[in-house]
Amino acid sequence: MHQITDPKHRPSSPGNRVRAPLGSRWRWTLALALALLAGAAGVAAGRLRLERARLEYRLLAAMPERVASDPVLVRFAVAQGRALFEHHCAACHGSNMRGNRAIGAPDLTDSVWLYGDGSVYDIERTVMYGIRSGRSKTHNVTDMPAFGQRGMLSDAQIRDLVQYLLKLNGRPHEGESAEEGRALFYGKPDCGDCHGSDARGDSDYGAPDLTVNVWNNGGDPQSLYDSLYFGRHRMMPAWLGTLSLEQIRALAVYVYSRSHPPGRTATTGPTE
Amino acid sequence: MSPTMLARRPGALRRALAVLAQRPARSAALPTCAVALGLLVAAFGLFRPAPPRLTAVPPGYVALVNQKGILLSDFIAQTQSETGAPFTETTPSERQRVLHEMVDEELLVQRGLVLDLPETTTEVRDIMASAVNAQVDAPLAAITPTDAELHAFYDTHRAKYTTGGTMTVHDLVLHVGGYEDADQSLAQAQTDAADAVYQLRSGASIDYVKEHYGFVDSGRVDNTEELDFAAKLHLGAKLYEAAGMLSDGEVSDPIVDTDGVHVLVMDHRQPPNVADFSTARNQVYSDYRDAQNRRGREQNLKILRSEAQILIAPGESE
Repeated sequence: MHQITDPKHRPSSPGNRVRAPLGSRWRWTLALALALLAGAAGVAAGRLRLERARLEYRLLAAMPERVASDPVLVRFAVAQGRALFEHHCAACHGSNMRGNRAIGAPDLTDSVWLYGDGSVYDIERTVMYGIRSGRSKTHNVTDMPAFGQRGMLSDAQIRDLVQYLLKLNGRPHEGESAEEGRALFYGKPDCGDCHGSDARGDSDYGAPDLTVNVWNNGGDPQSLYDSLYFGRHRMMPAWLGTLSLEQIRALAVYVYSRSHPPGRTATTGPTE
Repeated sequence: MSPTMLARRPGALRRALAVLAQRPARSAALPTCAVALGLLVAAFGLFRPAPPRLTAVPPGYVALVNQKGILLSDFIAQTQSETGAPFTETTPSERQRVLHEMVDEELLVQRGLVLDLPETTTEVRDIMASAVNAQVDAPLAAITPTDAELHAFYDTHRAKYTTGGTMTVHDLVLHVGGYEDADQSLAQAQTDAADAVYQLRSGASIDYVKEHYGFVDSGRVDNTEELDFAAKLHLGAKLYEAAGMLSDGEVSDPIVDTDGVHVLVMDHRQPPNVADFSTARNQVYSDYRDAQNRRGREQNLKILRSEAQILIAPGESE
């Protein structure tokens, strides 16, 4: 019989040996190692889930004011809150949380708060029930009237009030007009009813502090004029029912952490 | 696996496998297995135990009342509201009292649901409907109207922005008598009324036409000064429209109404004034907002209706 020889085929030799297939012992060892690896991964994932569940429980079980002093909980909440904020809040407040003056969405990174004093509890409450959301527990004591549109103040009176607001914030203003504005502020309509006799606002009403030069709708004279003329009636939706309690708490802690970097103290009363 | 091989296996399994392996039985085997599996699933669904009842208050809540939670946040808010102090400064007894009240309230609400109050109690239904409307209104209120929009609204609703006019008017009526020949009586009454109008316009007194033509006071007005809206209410739309066109001392043409032929004599007329925009703007603003809310609510109901199945009993209509 004619033997077919492959010219590329070289016989085995100690220096040129064809690799033999793995033996069954090695196959079992490999399978066992893979199984152990998978088991270890499963255990690790389980532990992570358990740890997450434990942290979720702790985050929600803690009294709101205590959460901020627990770095583990803050770290956990911030990781969740960041994604939630991007998905649910950034459309109005911006991804950088600096707000949007065009729609009156406030800057959440500063220390100025329209409602409450910026505590985790206050933020959480606002996230839960919103502002003028139509729910009975929402923030909705009052709003900024449309003094011009409703004919309660004349054009000149509004301009005088704008000058007074500029003066209150130590900005360039017309002295005589500002004095007229001052008289209006404490006269008719009595702005102090909501903003306080010292114009420092009232966080129970959501009436902004008019002395800190922080303005949700812009602080230039024209924007101030518009606020007085057209009024402001901004709203924020209520998230209770859409987000879980744990998600709301995480969001509140995230916002708190961004607005309370170490060493900063809170100020109440932003401006519309 | 052949029947021969199966035959070597022992006992019941051997017999079962042998039966399954035989061709006629094999065709029924799969459906039988499927049915058995289905019954197992159904049994599991039917007889598995209900979700366990919570025996501890979950985080985020302060109490469970019949498995319904009271939010910790609501408890803090309520406590602060009732005591006027920050929650951390409230005493245990204050918290206890507030929580007791909240549990009571929750129990009453749950009882209300058991009694189906939303179905049976008008007040509850009204409040629920109002709450839904409030949710519809909320986003609309955030939209500030422009001056142009307010002006346009004012222009299309000018009649709403009038100061109330007044009138002192006599309403004389010549009753149409006789049911057998009513048309003739009406025709006669109209002729008499036309004569009376001529006499009145020539300076005759009201007493004169009463005496000579049989007119009487209709009783709809008491011949004293009335605001327009009241006069409209009393006279009816038809007579009010005629009265509104009369000036001091003028006499209307005869007006046929349901009870006879009327003649109006205007003693004194103070016509209504249409307020200009600057005067009425506060009211215009409020009305604009109301109209905006009304549109929003109508739109909401339109959507609800489009998604609802509404069946009306035969013979009835919406």
